[in-house]
Amino acid sequence: MGYVAIKGGKASIEGAAAATDYLRASSGKQNQSLTLDAIEGQLRLLVSRVVSEGGLYHPKLAALAIKQFQGDTLEAAFALRAYRSTKPRLLETPPQNTVDMRVIRRISSAFKDIPGGQMLGPTYDYALRLLDLGLADENPEDFRAIARHFLADAPENELPDSFPKVLDALRTEGLLPPLKPVAGAPFDITRQPLIFPVPRAAALATMARAETGSLLAIAYSNMRGYGDVHPTIAELRVGYVPVMLPHPVTGEPMEAGEVLMTECEVVAMFEGDDQGGKPVFTLGYGACFGHNEVKAISMAVLDRALQKGMKDGAANPSEDPEFVLLHVDGVDSMGFASHYKMPHYVTFQSDMDRLRTTQAKAGIDTVRQKDTV
Amino acid sequence: MNLPPDFPPRNRWGALLAQLPADQVRTAAAVLMLEVVDITLPQSGLGLMHLSDSALNDGFYLGEIPVARAHVRVKCADGRSGEGGAVLLDDRARLARAIAVLDAALAAQLPGWESVATLVAQGLDAHEQRAQTRRALLARTHVDFSLLGQEEEDE
Repeated sequence: MGYVAIKGGKASIEGAAAATDYLRASSGKQNQSLTLDAIEGQLRLLVSRVVSEGGLYHPKLAALAIKQFQGDTLEAAFALRAYRSTKPRLLETPPQNTVDMRVIRRISSAFKDIPGGQMLGPTYDYALRLLDLGLADENPEDFRAIARHFLADAPENELPDSFPKVLDALRTEGLLPPLKPVAGAPFDITRQPLIFPVPRAAALATMARAETGSLLAIAYSNMRGYGDVHPTIAELRVGYVPVMLPHPVTGEPMEAGEVLMTECEVVAMFEGDDQGGKPVFTLGYGACFGHNEVKAISMAVLDRALQKGMKDGAANPSEDPEFVLLHVDGVDSMGFASHYKMPHYVTFQSDMDRLRTTQAKAGIDTVRQKDTV
Repeated sequence: MNLPPDFPPRNRWGALLAQLPADQVRTAAAVLMLEVVDITLPQSGLGLMHLSDSALNDGFYLGEIPVARAHVRVKCADGRSGEGGAVLLDDRARLARAIAVLDAALAAQLPGWESVATLVAQGLDAHEQRAQTRRALLARTHVDFSLLGQEEEDE
């Protein structure tokens, strides 16, 4: 039995779009359209999810997508992916380095004292998870005063913009594996299919634009016992990385702009190398566009788990590259789940026919047979 | 007349000019009244961001970034010329072209270059203001550890 072509529903599809927009426009007492600036500034963590899951660092368009899809991060990321597919690719940057990150937050759970010190920056980590009812009816003057007061109360400081890495100290002590030599162009997941086995670069790129909840769920399985990573966060940092590109005239690296990103380096159990060398800690790495710490930590845990799986074979799902990398993309998985909403009239008719035939062969008196008597 | 010794180097001019309102930058480029020839057509599109993983130094692609770029040759009425370029994390090719014109005028010190230097200085001020705000985020949240029992509790 094949598919049959059907038509119809054009008016209802247009009506559905209008109904969706009606709910957006008619909600609330004020009936004011959200500005992109307000979304970008006040829903910055939502924007962060969309830029990282969309795989495109464009906060303004991410804010637009959030507005258009009324806060649905999966649809917003999908829209960014669709946008990117319409644009020409002009260049590939030289390898960028997060040592120059203009940090707004950096912490370590490995050491109390780290070079440059720990700065909590903007975080809810130490706040009570209690609703702030004052925000429910925030007056504009109080709202504007928050920024003014914060800056007025900031102590004088001579802090640098960037800080040394915690891992460098461990590496100097010989406790970490040596850095790998610079290799060629990494695996490009936007142009090459994931055919396993894939290199670590493919895994990192896939996880960098993965859906946060999916990464967290699989990383959590490892943390709870279906794995053995037990990480210590050597450093978690959030900040702006200056993107350096060659100047068109001089060829010297010039700053083209900056990208907000989150980066996490985890240290896990030590092991010896295959050649009988001295044991060193194993490492995991996570990074993503925007400010998204749960994603960076989850990615670092999974990076470490996948390294083990690639080397020794997977002992659990979180160590299996195929299981992890093919199931963490939000646009892929959302698309598959959503496609079940599309008409399956013919295939379901076929399922019913098969069931009726099976029941008839088994001699079962079906409801349909009774009804038709 | 030369640029002061502490003036930002050329590789920062583009980023600093990009801190200013786009209209201001485009107007500044237009009033220089230079003849502009595109060496390569201004373009906007995407760039693939290659990142070095700081744990093991494996390179990978973090994602894509918007890129606008321009490369121009400019000529002024007295016949002097210069070459300028810009690459920005931005969608606006026209803005990149305007910055490339300003880059050329300032690098070759063509007539009107002083106004471009002033713009770069304004961009530096804006950049510094933003850096100060970020430092405030750090300074207000710098963790002052002490061992239990060695110091009085703050509160």
